[in-house]
Amino acid sequence: MEHKPLPQDTGLAFYSKVSASISHELKNALAVINESAGFLEDVTLMVQKGIPLDPGRLSTLAGTVLKQVQRSNTIIKNMNRLAHSLDEKQAVVDIGSLLGLMLHVSERNAVSRGVKISGTFPESPVSITTNPFFLETLVWLLLELSMDACGDARAVNVAATGTGTGAGMTFSGLDALTGAGADAFLAGRSGPLLEALGGDLKILEEEGRLVLALPAAFSADF
Amino acid sequence: MSDKVLIVDDEKDFLDLISERLKARDVDVSTATRGEDAVSLIDKESYDAVVLDLQMPGMDGLEALKRIKEKNPDVQVILLTGHATVEKGVEAMKLGAMDLIEKPADLPTIIDRIKRAKAEKIILVEKKSQERIQDILTRKAW
Repeated sequence: MEHKPLPQDTGLAFYSKVSASISHELKNALAVINESAGFLEDVTLMVQKGIPLDPGRLSTLAGTVLKQVQRSNTIIKNMNRLAHSLDEKQAVVDIGSLLGLMLHVSERNAVSRGVKISGTFPESPVSITTNPFFLETLVWLLLELSMDACGDARAVNVAATGTGTGAGMTFSGLDALTGAGADAFLAGRSGPLLEALGGDLKILEEEGRLVLALPAAFSADF
Repeated sequence: MSDKVLIVDDEKDFLDLISERLKARDVDVSTATRGEDAVSLIDKESYDAVVLDLQMPGMDGLEALKRIKEKNPDVQVILLTGHATVEKGVEAMKLGAMDLIEKPADLPTIIDRIKRAKAEKIILVEKKSQERIQDILTRKAW
């Protein structure tokens, strides 16, 4: 009998990839801050040799450092949110806010694959009670599938919405979506996650869309 | 003659800063933010060293290294990475990189590697000249 990976194992794989990506991003921000500090040292030496200080250049440098501090702060805030999503097996989750978080953490991966991912968010908060970490893991997997299936347009849109019975997300722009690819996706890691969330995934191959539906409240025994 | 270097990194702020600091030290610096652009520049110019970021969108550092070495095997490439593991180091050397430096890197280290790269390139160029001379002498021997 084919062994299906437990949601927890898939979650670990997701967490490990995102953590690696986060650490790379932070290293890049640190590299810029490091060069900025080195540049200030250079300027100090030049001033000591009698070369006049350029206040405009220093102001630009301060802006560069601030930009990297803000970037690092956002990265760490997202990392913190992800970490805290493991606090409870069941919690109230704002679907739009979760989508925003997942678009942020997937951004570098999308850029390196040459895919532009945009989000459409509900006008007012839409909340469901679910396992936050499993939902994040599922959305991450759906984003991976979408990037594989977006075809030559290299653009995916993800729309988070409220439904009559809970909430949903629609992944569109998937011109290269095939039934075989989607079936493999469902048979693999995403199947157990959908079960754990009480979710349903419709694969609309001809329309190039994936439609995820989630109940207003669900609790699985994990 | 000043060292001639190509620096390749998708982080523009980093590229601008390191470029400015190296130019202040009389290094002749060219820059590129994409691996594809770096490979095109290798066709047009001769560099003492190429400092290449490992993780870039599109063509990553390892792919760019392969293509650069295919075009010009004598080019000395120094890779920059956020996490320098033994495995990455081995893979990079197998593909022909001269060295692997972890970010954030201090400028004296980068400059030292550039100077070593230039020295290595001079040795390779001299060796090739010797081989050509030897070949001529052998063929023209009478």
